[in-house]
Amino acid sequence: MKEKLLLFLVFLTNLVVYGQNTCDTALPVQAGITVIDAINGSQAPSPFCVTGGTVATAGEWYVYSPIGNHTVTVTTDLNINIGDDPRVHIYKGDCTNLVCVAGDDDSGTLGNPDALCVVTFDALAGNDYFIAFDNKWDASGITFKLIENEYIPQPVAIVSFTQQTVGLTGSYRDCVVDMNGDYLDDIVSVSNGQVQMLLQTETGSFQSVTRPTPTTNFLPSWSIAAGDINKDGYNDLVYGNGQGVAFMRQNSTQTGFELMTSPEYVFSQRTNFIDIDNDGNLDAFVCHDVAPNVRYINDGTGNLIFAQGGMGDYPSGGNYGSIFVDYDNDGDMDLFIAKCGSGPIDELHQNNGDGTFTDVSIAAGMAEPSQSWSSAWADYDNDGDMDAMIGASSNTSGGHKLRLNNGDGTFTDVTAGSGLDVFLSTNIENVAHDFDNDGFVDLFMGGNTIMINNGNMTFTPNPVNTSVGSIGDLNNDGFLDVQYNNNIFLNTGNDNNWLKVHLEGVDSNRNGIGARIELYGTWGKQIREVRSGDGFRHMSSLNTHFGIGTAETITKLVVKWPSGIVDEILNPNINESILVVESSTLGVASTKNNAFILYPNPASEVLNIQNNSFEIEAAMIYDITGRKVVSTKNNVQSLDVHALSAGTYVVILRDTDGKTHTQKFIKK
Amino acid sequence: MKHFYPYFIVSLLVILSIIACSDDNQKKDDDYEPIPPTSPVVLDLSQVPYQKLSDYKLFEGDMKNQDPSLGVLPYEPISQLFTDYAHKKRFVWMPENAKATYNGDGKILNFPTGTVLVKTFYYDNVLPSNTTRVLETRLLIKKADGWIFGEYVWNDEQTEATLLTTGEYIDLEWMEGNVQKSTTYRIPSNTECFTCHKSGLDIIPIGTKPQNLNSTYTFDDGAKNQLAKWVEMGYLDSNYPTDITTVVNWKDEGLDIGLRVRSYLDINCAHCHQEGSYCDYRPMRFAFSESADPANLGICITPDQDLGNGLTQIVFPGRPLRSVLDFRINSTDEATRMPLLGRTLVHEEAATMINQWITALEGCD
Repeated sequence: MKEKLLLFLVFLTNLVVYGQNTCDTALPVQAGITVIDAINGSQAPSPFCVTGGTVATAGEWYVYSPIGNHTVTVTTDLNINIGDDPRVHIYKGDCTNLVCVAGDDDSGTLGNPDALCVVTFDALAGNDYFIAFDNKWDASGITFKLIENEYIPQPVAIVSFTQQTVGLTGSYRDCVVDMNGDYLDDIVSVSNGQVQMLLQTETGSFQSVTRPTPTTNFLPSWSIAAGDINKDGYNDLVYGNGQGVAFMRQNSTQTGFELMTSPEYVFSQRTNFIDIDNDGNLDAFVCHDVAPNVRYINDGTGNLIFAQGGMGDYPSGGNYGSIFVDYDNDGDMDLFIAKCGSGPIDELHQNNGDGTFTDVSIAAGMAEPSQSWSSAWADYDNDGDMDAMIGASSNTSGGHKLRLNNGDGTFTDVTAGSGLDVFLSTNIENVAHDFDNDGFVDLFMGGNTIMINNGNMTFTPNPVNTSVGSIGDLNNDGFLDVQYNNNIFLNTGNDNNWLKVHLEGVDSNRNGIGARIELYGTWGKQIREVRSGDGFRHMSSLNTHFGIGTAETITKLVVKWPSGIVDEILNPNINESILVVESSTLGVASTKNNAFILYPNPASEVLNIQNNSFEIEAAMIYDITGRKVVSTKNNVQSLDVHALSAGTYVVILRDTDGKTHTQKFIKK
Repeated sequence: MKHFYPYFIVSLLVILSIIACSDDNQKKDDDYEPIPPTSPVVLDLSQVPYQKLSDYKLFEGDMKNQDPSLGVLPYEPISQLFTDYAHKKRFVWMPENAKATYNGDGKILNFPTGTVLVKTFYYDNVLPSNTTRVLETRLLIKKADGWIFGEYVWNDEQTEATLLTTGEYIDLEWMEGNVQKSTTYRIPSNTECFTCHKSGLDIIPIGTKPQNLNSTYTFDDGAKNQLAKWVEMGYLDSNYPTDITTVVNWKDEGLDIGLRVRSYLDINCAHCHQEGSYCDYRPMRFAFSESADPANLGICITPDQDLGNGLTQIVFPGRPLRSVLDFRINSTDEATRMPLLGRTLVHEEAATMINQWITALEGCD
């Protein structure tokens, strides 16, 4: 009894003296071995400095205050720990404001599976570094060793993100796109019966609005895509479900959504909005896992008509990752399908220009088994055509494949030596964006890795703190961010310059989906395409983003619309977003539009519209760089132009049939 | 078929000798042997699938009671597929003079043309009135050039089931023991049926393997080994081994948990996770005949797909939270749950078993 009492007193003393249960009572540690008897302190580490499971209920806290500068390693990768599964977070700051410095879960090599954590960070004299273990996987005791190495600053990642939690309430959180017509990327979450939108505000915060929808069995469990199917300026959604497809059309008052479904069974995989028949109305394409792919053709009067066949007819299964890309530079969007399953071969379908497609997989050299759920297409070498990376989701048919577009409708295998040949993480999500704004499009792939484009068709792995999610500019700073589940990952950015292009189609579909955008400058030419639906599951921004490295000027921006119309803007400003309205930069003569007359022209105060041929639904004035400067609705007979600065402007009138009519005028 | 003739000839001799030994002194009328009643089942392979389930005459009396007609034999796999707690009745029927043959413990019996496999899905204690409701009856019919599906959906009156090829939903609430459960029950389209009943380009059955049928079942006329009963019925050639490697009933908590888990995974998962199946590009091989190898169960195997959340192994010994198998079997999200088809609810009892099994596993070395 006496012994027990003594033990109890010793235990109590330990608690008091070594009370490392919270940050405030963190136990000072120095270089050497420290033994933790159990991870049961009342304060669980937060924020989380490791990716992965984000709920822990207990922690153990230590504080390290270096005398000199050191590169410090905290390791549990010790034989005594084999079989344990610790996780560690390193913070600086103070207990009321902990800032992640580093963290780790499984970097150790001992044990099988290797589950021990090792973390290395730079520790500078005069600072406190908190070392906190959590009990997420394992609450048992752990021994760790703190090693003070010579101070060699850790390399700074080319791309890094700062994690923030956002209040997404829906079950399906896979969509970043503008939903309220201001071109700022919003975040969409979906539940049965409602769509929640985190609307990005001009001040960089989010306003949450939730709109009712009809209920449906076809929720977006496999993928989601967005586009404006009724040309009202507000994006609509397609839900890719395992048993069918639903469309949620946002009403023009933005108070709710209208449901459109078709009864056909579809095991949806990737969904895309694309104007398949190029009639100016956005259609939808849905990969069907276990049958020929399907499409929904927009008849322009609010109907989406189901059709099946002719765009990947299923030999033999596994239509997973569709992406529309103009691989042959002929101005229309072709279709590549990354396939996976028991033996299927990837497919490339060439757009015949009349709404039909021809399978050219073999001729193009793209008929390969890849076990892929998505491919990422971009002009990785900036030579003016779209190259491909087919991302392996399993290495049973070889790994990732990099294909250089030869410019003649064929591709060359350039995987060997590209860095993708030795990048072994597999994933179902692979997307192409310029994350470091250096003017070369990078690859975001599996293993929480961005493969940085070195500019010479080789890529270098850059670990980040998130899986591939929805991509967009969530703080409107010109650097691309990521949303994944309930978190956003804001790009830390750098000094590189950028341009974002916002499109407003008129003859073409409203979003300009399928447009080819060219950007000219000291780098030569960069190209992008507006796509709805890349990667496998997520919807990413419809705004087009270019990094231009250290260049200070852009020579020319060219937008080649699906309609065939080409808009050119000379010397657009850098580090801005620019709105390009279809046809707005055309000369008057080239529009061949005599349907109405503007007078007086030049005008100084009021511009009158003489028009006997149609009823005006809306009138807009754009400046020569494509910025909308005046917009008014209903039967307009004159426009107030007194506030405009002198220069050349374009007036676009939209009639009640949705057709547009364009004239130029000069402001005195 | 030819190597089965000796058995047939022996049988014939036995019958002839019985006849020969009968009492010659009896009156001729007493010699009358009633013609054995023939099965009323109607199967014209050029006409199936019929529009109505009743057209097959598989059942006697009120069809919803599922009383099998003569020649329609009930059967039950030792471990069974979970489909949102639906109850099932299964039957097999074959034409006269046709029988299946053994093809391997873990392989589908080699069925003759004209075989009909019948599986009816129903719930007891359906709310609001705690009634039994029959939802669907699925047929697999073997034609000369392979199996076809016949999917029949029962009407609300429970008097008839009609052919459906496109799939449909039924909202359902019922009492499962003392727990109220609900689901939007999915009647699969033919295309969905093929996702699981698939080998290469061919439609195949799943459950009718000797490993699943080598067990005692209580028939109307008494308990008997199912395979023996099939032989008695003339539905299976008796030329099969006596030492069949047999799955166990995963519900039997007295048995080895490893065998229970493997038996559960076989009937619930192996149809997609074996060579030539829907998902054969993933490394798991869940068939009972393959799953004795720990790697085929995903033990200490890194998953291809990054699911985040620290799920770094398909089965992480000792750590269910880090095991993709545990995560997927507990998920109801269509994109992450497993099995992919046939369930919207978590199979709580099985999930508990798998959690216990993973927890008890030790490292990989």
